[in-house]
Amino acid sequence: MSTRLFFISFIFVITTSVSISAQTVSVITKKNSIRESCRFFAPVKTTVHYSDLLEVISQEGDWFQVKFKEIQGCIHKSAVEEKSISLSKIVSSGSQSASDDEVAIAGKGFNPQVESAYKRDNPGLNFQAVNRIENYNVSDSALKNFIQSGRLISSD
Amino acid sequence: MIKYLFINLILTSFLLTGCAGVNIGGVGLGSVARIAEKTYQATTPLSDEEEYYVGRAVAARILSSYPLLEDKELTEYVNLVGQTVAIHSDEPFTYGGYHFGVLDSNEMNAFACPGGMIFITKGMISSATNEDELASVLAHEVAHINNRDGASSIQKARLTEVATLISTEAAKRYTPAELSQLVKLFEGSVDDVFKTVVVNGYSKSQEYSADKDALNYLSRAGYDPQALITFLERLIAQEQGLGGGLMKTHPAMIERLENVAENLPSKKGDEALVNLRSKRFEKAIK
Repeated sequence: MSTRLFFISFIFVITTSVSISAQTVSVITKKNSIRESCRFFAPVKTTVHYSDLLEVISQEGDWFQVKFKEIQGCIHKSAVEEKSISLSKIVSSGSQSASDDEVAIAGKGFNPQVESAYKRDNPGLNFQAVNRIENYNVSDSALKNFIQSGRLISSD
Repeated sequence: MIKYLFINLILTSFLLTGCAGVNIGGVGLGSVARIAEKTYQATTPLSDEEEYYVGRAVAARILSSYPLLEDKELTEYVNLVGQTVAIHSDEPFTYGGYHFGVLDSNEMNAFACPGGMIFITKGMISSATNEDELASVLAHEVAHINNRDGASSIQKARLTEVATLISTEAAKRYTPAELSQLVKLFEGSVDDVFKTVVVNGYSKSQEYSADKDALNYLSRAGYDPQALITFLERLIAQEQGLGGGLMKTHPAMIERLENVAENLPSKKGDEALVNLRSKRFEKAIK
């Protein structure tokens, strides 16, 4: 009987911790939006940034219903990745940002510091044009109008 | 029962408050996590963020050979078509997002840099007869990004070296020696990708897969997937015997065409809508 009770307790602990940890995702794009509903052109409720941690409430197709700093909304699954060990850090720190260690790991490898050094070694490369292309952004409303006027599908 | 609840409480609080600071046999669990991170880094490819920086450098190299066409209206139009396709792809969001640039070259070509930057030449745009065909070219390039075809050409040994280097306890900013080593690895990685994307081209299976995915994106977006076939047929006719540009980086076009035909969705596009979109295409490319 005692072995059985211990086993049940143990399973309870494991499943509780696994289910809690599985409910957190980390933003993997520079910037993204939490939207009112799970559609590409739904109004934006707030903006999130790389390595922000979001609490998952549910999944609707390719979208997650998430909570970030008490704001609830939707984010596309390709903008986040599962972060199975981070909720404990949220619980203990009360924060929804990644720890310094996580940020350090995230910023390691090929990062802006490496790119700057590479640019110095290769002054003939046209990074100015790359920045110009990157700074060109299509607004949600322009894309939505384009899709509608071309009788295309708006994805959701 | 109370005893077991107590044990549960202790175990739960241990799991919830994190493992940092807890030592087992003299090894901190923080260190265990770091070892796991090192193992992870050594066995996985570049992160999305790293892929983005490699892609920027590849783009900078392309733009050193091909000037960017400074045509705001055409660039905006190509970005609208490209973004429409991208949101219907398997990965609508990348670290830095999708960006489309037009190259001032009459060569017929298109390039996908890791992370989401896509180039299409003026010559390639002129070869398309309508928006759906332009969308088919961009969808193919978006598929290369979704499938990480450029990044996968980086030699594994380089990635292992990067993983080893970054798994040291160093802070986010590197020492000059570490930085110098990383820059060499970065340069090598950029070379690997550039050779594949611009010089040698992708493997046949990567091209087939990108075509198949492109058909799906086109179909999901409401474009006519048949446009990929008509465009490839025209390219073959135009390029046969010339041996330059696209034929160099996209070999065996006839076989590709057969592969596309085999995977074409059964639902056909509406010709009236293709014609409707053709009007804005003609206006944009004037």
